[in-house]
Amino acid sequence: MPVDNRRITVPENTTCYNLFTKSKSFKNRCEHFINTSGKRPDGRKAEEHRKIFLQMNVVTQAKGSAYIEVGKTKVIVSVFDPRGIPNNSDYKQNGELYCEFKYAPFSCTKRRLHQQDSEEKQKSLIMKRSLESAVCRHEFPNFQVDIYALVLENDGSTLSAAITAAGIALAQAGIPMYDIITAAEFGYQDGTYVLDPTSQEERICSVTMQENNDSANEFKPQGIIILSMLLTHQQVSGFHANGNLRLSDVNNSFDVISRATADIANLVKKNLVKQVIKNVQENAIKK
Amino acid sequence: MSLCEAEKTFILHGVEENFRIDGREREDYRPMEVEIGIISHAFGSARLRLANTDVLVAVKIEVDTPYPEKPSQGKLDFFVDCSANATPDFEGRGGEDLATGISNSLSDAYRSSKAFDLKKLCIMKGQKCWKLLVDILLLECGGNLYDAVSLAVKAALWNTRVPGVKSVGIDGKNVELNVSERLNDCVPLDVSGAPVMVTVCKIGEYCVVDPSAAEEKCSSAALVVAVSQGNITTVLQGSAGSLHPTTLMDSLGLGVEVANQLNIALMETLQSAPPHFDVGFLK
Amino acid sequence: MSRKELLSKIGLRADGRRAQELRRIRCKLGVFTEPDGSAYIEQGLTKVLAAVYGPHQVRGGRSKAQYDAAIVNCQFSMAVFSTGERKRRPRGDRKSTEMSIHLKQALMATIKTELYPWSQIDVYVEVLHADGGVYAACVNASTLALIDAGIPLKEYVCACTASLANNDIPMVDISYQEEVLGGPTLTVAALPMSEKIVLMEMTQRFHLDHLPKVLKEALRGCKDIKVILDEAVRNHLVNVGSSSGWVKNK
Repeated sequence: MPVDNRRITVPENTTCYNLFTKSKSFKNRCEHFINTSGKRPDGRKAEEHRKIFLQMNVVTQAKGSAYIEVGKTKVIVSVFDPRGIPNNSDYKQNGELYCEFKYAPFSCTKRRLHQQDSEEKQKSLIMKRSLESAVCRHEFPNFQVDIYALVLENDGSTLSAAITAAGIALAQAGIPMYDIITAAEFGYQDGTYVLDPTSQEERICSVTMQENNDSANEFKPQGIIILSMLLTHQQVSGFHANGNLRLSDVNNSFDVISRATADIANLVKKNLVKQVIKNVQENAIKK
Repeated sequence: MSLCEAEKTFILHGVEENFRIDGREREDYRPMEVEIGIISHAFGSARLRLANTDVLVAVKIEVDTPYPEKPSQGKLDFFVDCSANATPDFEGRGGEDLATGISNSLSDAYRSSKAFDLKKLCIMKGQKCWKLLVDILLLECGGNLYDAVSLAVKAALWNTRVPGVKSVGIDGKNVELNVSERLNDCVPLDVSGAPVMVTVCKIGEYCVVDPSAAEEKCSSAALVVAVSQGNITTVLQGSAGSLHPTTLMDSLGLGVEVANQLNIALMETLQSAPPHFDVGFLK
Repeated sequence: MSRKELLSKIGLRADGRRAQELRRIRCKLGVFTEPDGSAYIEQGLTKVLAAVYGPHQVRGGRSKAQYDAAIVNCQFSMAVFSTGERKRRPRGDRKSTEMSIHLKQALMATIKTELYPWSQIDVYVEVLHADGGVYAACVNASTLALIDAGIPLKEYVCACTASLANNDIPMVDISYQEEVLGGPTLTVAALPMSEKIVLMEMTQRFHLDHLPKVLKEALRGCKDIKVILDEAVRNHLVNVGSSSGWVKNK
């Protein structure tokens, strides 16, 4: 991994203080995951998505931008004009998307480096693949559109929030698109599932549970699924799953997530319409 | 490589009639050859040839300190290098994006402890653990890289022998580790859960397994499924392109089925391999 | 004894060879299908793969192209598992860049570049196992790969290492252990038939008086290697030719 020589980082042999505090055991945390009345620690039901706040045109320098808040998760996405592809000598029939997904160093519980690490590079790739199907790439051949997503606070579902916000930012930037793109995340653990996990829930879903002797034969799915959908065409533009899942688990999650993406899409539509009305009114006032 | 429209149409028609360019059906794999123990000074190694895709994997083991938040787990690191032998575009840092993509997907696939139990690599909790460094060298890319790489990695891990630890003691801050030098004391790794990746490409209306380089260029969407003991550990998109939900589920189903069969075939081949027969690249 | 002797009293080296013996060389041409020419060579335990692409259009703009000759682009890369201690980066460090330049120098001396103006010939070398004489093996592998690609050469370019044991006796084809034990190593790349030296490089030092005999050993080594490579090329030709009928299999 390339070393960042320009910034002063933390001293090398330091460890996070959290490791020395008395923390709840994993089993304990799982019990609060979904308690007996079917509610999660923040009061949501298993299939309930958090409230979303969307705002467009937040970054004046960028051609298009969007700010999204999903519960405590805050992501800001900016899109820039198409520019020539750097370091490229042959002609590309379709335009390229350059996606950069980054956690701000202060966004997560453990401080992140200023440079993209492998997890962020992977999320950038997932985001790029999801957005590529939504954008009319043949409209800007041999050009590249830059999309930068910065997570200001990480409380779970950052990637799906970034994809949704990127869709809006691209629309605002005037990049030709086929459809409205929205995304949602889903987590499986301990025999239950949660839609739109918080960072605590994401951490729980990322760990394989130790098998108890009595439940050795029963398979308990565990994992995280990210799905991004194109609204009108009803096509899956991005799919990424990780963990230990059966095919039936993936199938079952599908309905829940697609309903969630459809709900988010309504919100996106409202926002876009609001922005158009605002622009028209501003132009009318200017004249 | 670039294909003209006529070639793409030809491939499309072939897939529709279940008779691909090289005569395969949609769910057939190209002939594969695997050779293990090819790098003599690595703890485990394998070379896999899938038609003209060539992957060389070597596993090295080091003693390391475990992560503070995971004191009883060892480490597993993947490093992919795209050699310029495969294509001039990989010269210098040209193949870096592809390499990061493949190594990230491998780390994802092996993250679940059902796929690979890192606890078995622990020597002394919080102090010492084994670190497995899996180095993958892509020598030739003839399509379907993910499958070839995952199979080669599985074969190399199967071939890996972890040195036996005779004794480990802690004396104040110093850890005294006594590793056996005898070959017979080496412990093989448990790779029953190691995932096998399958690339499913959608060409026209049909899903195809094991695409060649030309078929990859004509596909409208590609999905890579990593399957371990019948369960899915990772799904990722191999290329841009959207899928209908039913097609997505069908492709996943096809991927899981094919992966299970591939896994059986690979384990059978490895277990029936003749004892060390040094051929390498000479044949 | 403070250190192991390079040459024992009865004249045997650590691996059982005599001072003038080369390690076992095994090679194969046409290992891969994608490159225009490829070759694999094993010198003792040192294993090297070479691939040649070209001649083709110059990549990266016409500014690099030459009107009267082809440009030769070499890349030397060592696999991370090739050395005893795992390498962090396969290429891009100083040593690899230096080796690439040396390789280019050796190959430019023999490729008839004037036949391909405005073109580029790429030579990529990948070291799978480094056990001494790495540069020599790379040059030999590149020669074979160039022949496999059908690029016209003036003649074979072969390389060999030589050293001095017990301050007196010259040895040929140095392994990694012998290099590390502190003996001076002279690497020579030469055109054996015309007896011209293309590249000469040395580590450590010895007295100038010893240079002629060490150099003579190295050149002799180059000539012997050329005989082995030539035989491999002829065998490959018979294999390829007999399948299409234009060479009669004896």
